[in-house]
Amino acid sequence: VSVTRDAVPPRTAERLLTAVLGSSDWTDTIVGDLHEEYVGRAAAAPLRAGAWYWAIAIRLVTRGLIARARTATASSPRQPATLNPGDSLMRTLGLETRYAWRSIVSRPMLSATVIVTLALGLGANASVFSMIDALLLRPYTLRDVDRMALVSYALPNDEDRRESVSPADFLDMRRQSDAFEHLSVFEWWTANLVGADEPENVLGFRVSANFFATLGVEPAIGRTFQQDEETPGRDTRVILSHALWQRRFGADRGIIGRTIEIDGRQFEAIGIMPAGFDFPFGAQLWAPSAFTADQAANRRSLYLTVIGRLGAGKTLEDATSQMQVVGERLTSDHPDTNRNRVARVYTLVQGMSDLGTGPILSMWQASAGFVLLIACANVASLLLARGADRQREMAVRLAMGASRMRVVRELLLESGLLAVLAIPCALAIAWATLKVIIAYMPPTIASFVAGWYEMDVDLRLVGFTVALAIVTAVIFGVVPALQASRPRLTDTLKDGGRGATAGASKLRLRSGLVIAEIALALPLLVAAGLSVLTVHRFLNGPQGFNPDGALTMRLVLPEVKYPTPDSRFQFAHAVVERLRSMPGVTAASASNVIPAISSNSGRSFEIEGQPIPTALDRPNADYRAVTDDFFTALGIPLLRGRGFTSGDRADTQQVIIVSDAMARRYWPDRDPIGARLRFSDGEPWLTVVGISGDVIHEWFNRRNYPTVYRPYSQGPGRQMALVVRTSGDPDSLASASRAAVRSVDPSQPVYELKSMRENIRVRTIGLQYLGAVMFAFGGLALALSVVGIYGVMAYMVTQRTHEIGVRMALGATRRDVLRLTVRQTAALTAIGVTIGVVLAVLLSRVIEAGLLGLTATDPRMVAGLAAALALAALAAGYIPARRAAALDPSQALRQS
Amino acid sequence: MAYNAGTMNLGEFEHIVLLAILRLGEGAYAIPIREEIEERTGRAVARGALYTALERLESKKCLRSRMSEPLPERGGRSRRYFTVTPGGLSALRASRRSLLSLWQGVEGRLES
Repeated sequence: VSVTRDAVPPRTAERLLTAVLGSSDWTDTIVGDLHEEYVGRAAAAPLRAGAWYWAIAIRLVTRGLIARARTATASSPRQPATLNPGDSLMRTLGLETRYAWRSIVSRPMLSATVIVTLALGLGANASVFSMIDALLLRPYTLRDVDRMALVSYALPNDEDRRESVSPADFLDMRRQSDAFEHLSVFEWWTANLVGADEPENVLGFRVSANFFATLGVEPAIGRTFQQDEETPGRDTRVILSHALWQRRFGADRGIIGRTIEIDGRQFEAIGIMPAGFDFPFGAQLWAPSAFTADQAANRRSLYLTVIGRLGAGKTLEDATSQMQVVGERLTSDHPDTNRNRVARVYTLVQGMSDLGTGPILSMWQASAGFVLLIACANVASLLLARGADRQREMAVRLAMGASRMRVVRELLLESGLLAVLAIPCALAIAWATLKVIIAYMPPTIASFVAGWYEMDVDLRLVGFTVALAIVTAVIFGVVPALQASRPRLTDTLKDGGRGATAGASKLRLRSGLVIAEIALALPLLVAAGLSVLTVHRFLNGPQGFNPDGALTMRLVLPEVKYPTPDSRFQFAHAVVERLRSMPGVTAASASNVIPAISSNSGRSFEIEGQPIPTALDRPNADYRAVTDDFFTALGIPLLRGRGFTSGDRADTQQVIIVSDAMARRYWPDRDPIGARLRFSDGEPWLTVVGISGDVIHEWFNRRNYPTVYRPYSQGPGRQMALVVRTSGDPDSLASASRAAVRSVDPSQPVYELKSMRENIRVRTIGLQYLGAVMFAFGGLALALSVVGIYGVMAYMVTQRTHEIGVRMALGATRRDVLRLTVRQTAALTAIGVTIGVVLAVLLSRVIEAGLLGLTATDPRMVAGLAAALALAALAAGYIPARRAAALDPSQALRQS
Repeated sequence: MAYNAGTMNLGEFEHIVLLAILRLGEGAYAIPIREEIEERTGRAVARGALYTALERLESKKCLRSRMSEPLPERGGRSRRYFTVTPGGLSALRASRRSLLSLWQGVEGRLES
């Protein structure tokens, strides 16, 4: 779904430009010219155009700022820098700022290095903050979203578990609570849309009539549902999302009142929602949720998500305590079904959030924080070095009676200005990062992530970055400022510092910074390595099935058209036959679920002869109904026993194949073949006839999970996934496969038509992002710390030129000098790496939690990365060391 | 400060900018001016430098500018079109004259 919008340059960049250039008709001309050029470029490549705009804006802003500084300096030469005791604070600050400006402009290379370093650190943090802000803090743009709540069940022993609610329980909740003005439900609905176009599968939801009132949204056209449309028979009304209306119905207002065929039934279109509204999970269609009498009495099936709007004057606490009472009453009234259910109330944002997002984003924020700290250490050491260069200046000023306070304040002001200058670059980095992050997410996944498209550089982000920049300025500025303002006056003034090696305390400080950088970089490298390895393993490691050469697609059979198990089996059988007869196809199968897709199916069961304490303690397994060729089509090995054949029919013996993990878990000391299990009391016993290999259905919590396979003929469902195995390129079979399905039923849409490899890629997209982001942080940390180490070592060598000269004059060889300098680096590196290893081990615990136990820290990897970092550090220190060794003693002595 | 256009010295870049505007005629605003210079001279022109030069030339009365109607593709802003003033023309003439007289007699040295 693409949204066409007039190309508009990045707003923040434009505002920045106007702010710095000042409002004049020249500014208007410049901004207008840029706008015009941007529009031209955006037509060809929007992403690149944005980056281009930012680059030009930053260049112009820098130019403008420097020009302004020059005019300020030129128009007030030297003289105003004198301050009198009676001057106002504003005048003092103004003059001091100007002074700091001059000092920054006078050392452009150093200032640029500092600004770029800070921008990288701040930009990394800004990007992550923007994601947290959009995805966690305010993913929904609904009005008074804080008045909305989500009611769910938790288990007494698992407070964080969010279970859906059964229809009967929901109806009781609605009747028995007055804390909510509206209480409504939604349930998933994969709708098959048939019409002028090709049949299509659309994400829809069945919702209560007051669903839209709960969310406080009005339709853009038409109306929403009425109470009586919650009854079966009158529920064939449908509301369309703005996007679906535009895409599929050409934005025709006349669609209202017309009928649309969905799932084999005629629905009347009654409303169009406003653009941008797609709650929940990128919904495209909404129809009323109508319970039959049976459903309304059902307390067993938990499939409704309950959301509510708090009544006037009611708080979330009111709702929580009331729901607790209602829940307890339900438990005592219906102990057999509700015994272990505890009602919980969350805010809508909390309740809808994905449990995995929080830990991952916190991990990123922590890593970005590390990067910023390394950047701070870098900048601090640069400023320390400059402080040493300015010792004489400081000493003179202090000797002439400037207060230390004033000198410190000026130096801090300078740090602050540097940080402020880094802000636009940081925002540009964040902007580019976010664009890339958004662009690489497949739209099918992005629509599930509320707030995904809201990630942008906005005023909140600017505020965050400014605040962070100020904190940063204090972190990297204080120590150098204090140091620089405390020179030993007499020493420094005596003769330009000749002969003096940097004081012991300064050396310690600088060494401390090198150690800190190494110690901070290593944990990040380990985290990056861990993430990248994990992702690599998940993408390319063994899956338990053969992901190459397989094309997959999904479909949902409408209840109306395929009411009986036999009709569904006939459909599957016919489709599989057509697929199998296509040229190049070696096997084809149909099943309810295949590995690596976004849905799953599970059943609880009991094993014959193994007593179960209570109904609630029944064990659980993944459930698959598969046609005979399934194991061949997917490449899942059969370890023992037999596979399914066409002889397994609805009326023959009911059989199953269990996965290896299931066999080992439930029949640890006997052969499961011949054993029997059943899914519930009324259902037949199923006999185990074979054992299959384990598969990875999903990386987070379905790896080698116990699985029961059943012949499709004995349990045909409406959800269906098709697999076509070929010796060639699976993608080349796509249109023929679609046609094969259509030849069996022309109104049956298929969706998610893609290769198995692509399924896995999409399924692990979160992990890939995780890996990529951590890799970027690790790389950044490594680069920053290596540059930092080089800077400090190079500076130390310059400082010791005189000393080295003396040593060489007294007979030290080049080797000695080299060894001396390298040894120093080595010592610092060793200490840094040691601390780093400790931090890395601690951090990897956090990462392991963030990755939900997917991976364990490998000591060999930690050791390898520590060695690599140490080598990089030594290399960075070696270059200045060689320079020191190459010094000509006589020149070294004369110099400085 | 008053400039005597006849004796005023043009910087090389100013010279180039004025020529580009003359070449473009009616439709000379910053974007085509920059393109014209880049195309003819084969060197990159920084936007900031161009605007500075334009502003300076206008304040020296070598250029005159007028604003167009607001345009949608510029976010509702106007274009600023430039024309070379008689003062600008005589500055160019003077510049050309001095350059040509300096070239006299040395052109042969370039051919080898």
